[in-house]
Amino acid sequence: MGAWLNEPLTWGSALILFLWAALFLLIVLGFVTYAIYYERKVIGWMQLRIGPNRVGPLGLFQTVADIFKLLIKEDTIPRKADRLLFIIAPALAFIPSFTVLAVIPYTEKLYFADLNVGLLYYVALSGITTLAMVLGGWASNNKYALLGGMRSAAQMISYEVPLVISIVGVILLSGSLNLRDIVAAQDGGWFWNWNLFPQIIGFIVFFIAAVSELNRTPFDLPEAESELVAGYHVEYSGFRFAFFMLAEYVYVYAIAALTTVLFLGGWHAPAPFLDFVPGIIWFLLKFAFIVFSLFWIRATFPRVRVDQLMSLGWKVLLPVALLNVFLTALYLELFVK
Amino acid sequence: MFNVDITGEYIAFFIFAVIIIAGAVLMISLEKVVHMVISMAAAFLGLAGMYVLLDAEFVAFVQVLIYAGAVSILMIFGIMMTKHNGEAVETAKPLHETLAAVGALCLFGLLFYSIRTADFQSAGAFDPGQDNTLAIGEQLFTGYIVPFELLSILLTVAFIGAIALAKKEAD
Repeated sequence: MGAWLNEPLTWGSALILFLWAALFLLIVLGFVTYAIYYERKVIGWMQLRIGPNRVGPLGLFQTVADIFKLLIKEDTIPRKADRLLFIIAPALAFIPSFTVLAVIPYTEKLYFADLNVGLLYYVALSGITTLAMVLGGWASNNKYALLGGMRSAAQMISYEVPLVISIVGVILLSGSLNLRDIVAAQDGGWFWNWNLFPQIIGFIVFFIAAVSELNRTPFDLPEAESELVAGYHVEYSGFRFAFFMLAEYVYVYAIAALTTVLFLGGWHAPAPFLDFVPGIIWFLLKFAFIVFSLFWIRATFPRVRVDQLMSLGWKVLLPVALLNVFLTALYLELFVK
Repeated sequence: MFNVDITGEYIAFFIFAVIIIAGAVLMISLEKVVHMVISMAAAFLGLAGMYVLLDAEFVAFVQVLIYAGAVSILMIFGIMMTKHNGEAVETAKPLHETLAAVGALCLFGLLFYSIRTADFQSAGAFDPGQDNTLAIGEQLFTGYIVPFELLSILLTVAFIGAIALAKKEAD
């Protein structure tokens, strides 16, 4: 990929880049389709059920059928809704979720953008989705949707702070905001060279904040169905609803890939004698494990209360993340310099 | 007079310029406050695009993070908490508006004339450097450490002050 990125932009290379982006979009859509299927299966097994098993062999076409159903549903816009914002919000939620994927490096050779400030780019753009959720909730002109939008804004802002500060330790260790350099800095041959172990505090804070940023159980208050009907997207149906769901699952992909890159050594093998396995396999294994953990957490944790949520974010995660930055800086100052 | 080459950068500049200006104009002319905040967010995003064109990617994404993300959400949050049913429709004042338009046109003409006639010294080729994020960090924590820390103290004081004021009103 690197060779194409640094060429001068001609119509030919622009076409190639566009086709790569389109192919990547298809891969992401495929991931989302089967992530939903896999999530339902895993949760089913954990609750001693079978999960979807009717449509296609082993129920493999269940999600495809669900998406088809969503697409042919009637598209309703409430009469008193703010029409323009109601239409814009789903697209505004999805676009950042796909654009953040551009900076994720998969192997040494396979990456889409070699951005100097990759990590900052990810954090900055993912904030726009919050804006879209609030707008969707407001534009629906429905009190439950508005409450859901409010909760989502409060929650995502509160947890973005510990999320970003917990990454600072990783940035200190690798001395770069470029995700490729961060992976390269974890190259030591063995798994204890990964940031996971020197940055274990940062990793725990990052993971909790990431689950919260994804609006998933135990932090799925913005769409707590028993309290808010459905949350910010209660008035949405059909295609537009599908876009909100799509954005959420693309963020699952993004967070799992980001965790792999930041803490689990990206494409590096856990031990030197396992180097013969290609890097992309290691990346995918770690990635799949993170995605599985997200589903696992969803299946086993109860939802937190809204007041507990805020105090956890501000009174526990934020001080712990700051402590982690301080400890990392102290370590670098005393032992590395 | 307009001796410019049409390059990708030039086209991108115009697209971002249109976004910024359209956002700014809509911000003033729209009626609902939430729409105003959205058009302002669009102007912020356009500015971020300009920074990318100027090879200042760190500033660009900080702009997206702070202004397009955090500030816009904060404003929407604040607006939603208040009721905005009866937005007052201002009565038209023809004389006032004509004078304002003439004044704005004069200012535009003056600025345009002075920019076109100004003789810019060619200030050597700009060197974006290898890693301007690193350079910004080094500048902040060596040469500008005192202003930087003072600024953070100022923000903390403002923050605590806001909480104290809000608490007083709540009691």
